Amino acid sequence: MLQAHSILWHYLWVAPDLLFMLLGFFLWRRGMGRIFPAFVAFAILSSVGDLAAYLADITPSVSPANFWRVFWAGLVVESLLKFLVIGEVFSQVFAPYASIARLGKKLVSGCGTLLVLLAAVMAAFSRGDSKFGVVSGAHLLEQTVFIIELGLIVFLFLFAAYFHLSWDRLSFGIMIGLGVSACEHLAVWAIIANASPSEHVRTLFSFLGMATYHLCVFIWFYYLLVPGKATVKPKISLPENNLAVWNRELERLLQQ
Amino acid sequence: MTLAIIFVVFAVLALVLILRVTVSRALQVSSRDNVTPGIEPLDVEAFRNLVDASENAYLHRRLPAPEFRRVQRERLRAAAAYIRVSGRNAAILVTISQAALTSSDSQTVEAARQLIDSALLLRRNAAFALLRIYVGLAWPTIGLSAAPVLLGYERLNGCAMLLGRLQNPTVPVRISVRS
Repeated sequence: MLQAHSILWHYLWVAPDLLFMLLGFFLWRRGMGRIFPAFVAFAILSSVGDLAAYLADITPSVSPANFWRVFWAGLVVESLLKFLVIGEVFSQVFAPYASIARLGKKLVSGCGTLLVLLAAVMAAFSRGDSKFGVVSGAHLLEQTVFIIELGLIVFLFLFAAYFHLSWDRLSFGIMIGLGVSACEHLAVWAIIANASPSEHVRTLFSFLGMATYHLCVFIWFYYLLVPGKATVKPKISLPENNLAVWNRELERLLQQ
Repeated sequence: MTLAIIFVVFAVLALVLILRVTVSRALQVSSRDNVTPGIEPLDVEAFRNLVDASENAYLHRRLPAPEFRRVQRERLRAAAAYIRVSGRNAAILVTISQAALTSSDSQTVEAARQLIDSALLLRRNAAFALLRIYVGLAWPTIGLSAAPVLLGYERLNGCAMLLGRLQNPTVPVRISVRS
C-alpha cells in the first residue's frame, strides 16, 4: 500500500491537486480573485504544475531529465506564488491599521532578508542527497523556500498576536493551510537534503507530504467555502468607574 | 544531520504555535459572550513622576553616583511595570474596539477605529520603551524616555472614554486612577 505507484500514491498525488484547482476556479467565479488574486493564481497554477509533474512521472516516454525540468519549473512558479500569497495576506490583515502598517512592512522586509540569508547559509552547508545536481538542487531549493516561507508565516502570527489583532476568516484559513504544509515539508526536506535517508523512508516521507497537502487543501476548502459561525458580536462595555474622576479626566484632556 | 535536527525542531515549534493560535481563535469565537475586560487602572500621576526628566536630573545632582544608579534602576523597574500595564490595557482595548467596529452607529465605529489606532500605537511604543528600559538597567545614567508611552496612554484614555460614552452614555469610563 505504502509504495510508489500504488493506488493510494496515485490518489494522494492527483486528488488534492484536482480539488485545489477546483477550489481556485470556484473562488475565481465567486469574484475572490479581486480580494486574493495571488491565492487564486496559486490554487490554479500550482495544481497545474503538480499535475504536469505527475504526468511526467507516469509517462514512460518522458526521460528523468525532462521530469526534473518539469518539476523545477513547477517548483519555481509555486514558490514565487506562495510569497505573493503571504504578502497578500499581510496587506489584508495589517493595512487597515495605519499606526502599525509601516512598522509591519519594515519588520517583514527585515525578517524576509534575514531568512533569505539564513536559508542561503543553510543551503551552503547542506551536503546534498544525490549525485545528480538537478535532484539535490531541487531538494535544496525546497528546503530554502520552506525556511523563508515558514519564517515569514511564524512572524506574521507572532506580530498579529502581539498586537491582539483578529484575523478575518479567509486570511486565517489561507495562512493555517500554508503554515501546516510548510512545517511538514520543511522537516521532511531538511531530513532528505541533510540526512540521506533510505529509499523506503523517502517513499514514506513522500506519502506523508502528499497526505499533509491533502489535509491543507481540506483546510482551505473549510475556511474559504464554509461560512463562519454567524455570531452577533456583543457590545463589550468598558469598565465602569467614578463619574467625578471621569469628568476631571475629561476636563484635563480638553484643557490640553 | 545537525542541520536536519535544527529544521525539524523549528518546524515542530512552528506547528505548535500555529495549532495554538487556531485553538485559541476557536475558543475566542465560541466564548465571545463572556469577554470581561480586565483593564487595570494606571496611576498616571505616579507614572508621570517616574518618567519626568527634571526629576531625573534632580536625583542625578543630589545623589552620589553609586546611589543614583541604584535609585535609577529601581525607578526603571517601576517604570517598566507601568509600561507593561499600559501595554496590556492597550491590548484589551484593541479587542474591545474590534468588537465595537461591527456597530451600526457610524460615530461608534469611528471612535472604535480611533481607539484601535491609539492602542496599537501605544503597544508599539511600549515595546520600544521596554527595550530602552532593559538597556537602561545596564547603563542607568542614559536616562528614561517613556514620554511617548505616557502621551499615548493619555490619548488612549480620551479615546476609550469617547467610545465608552457612545456605547453606554450612562456609564463613565476611565483607565487611569488620577491625573
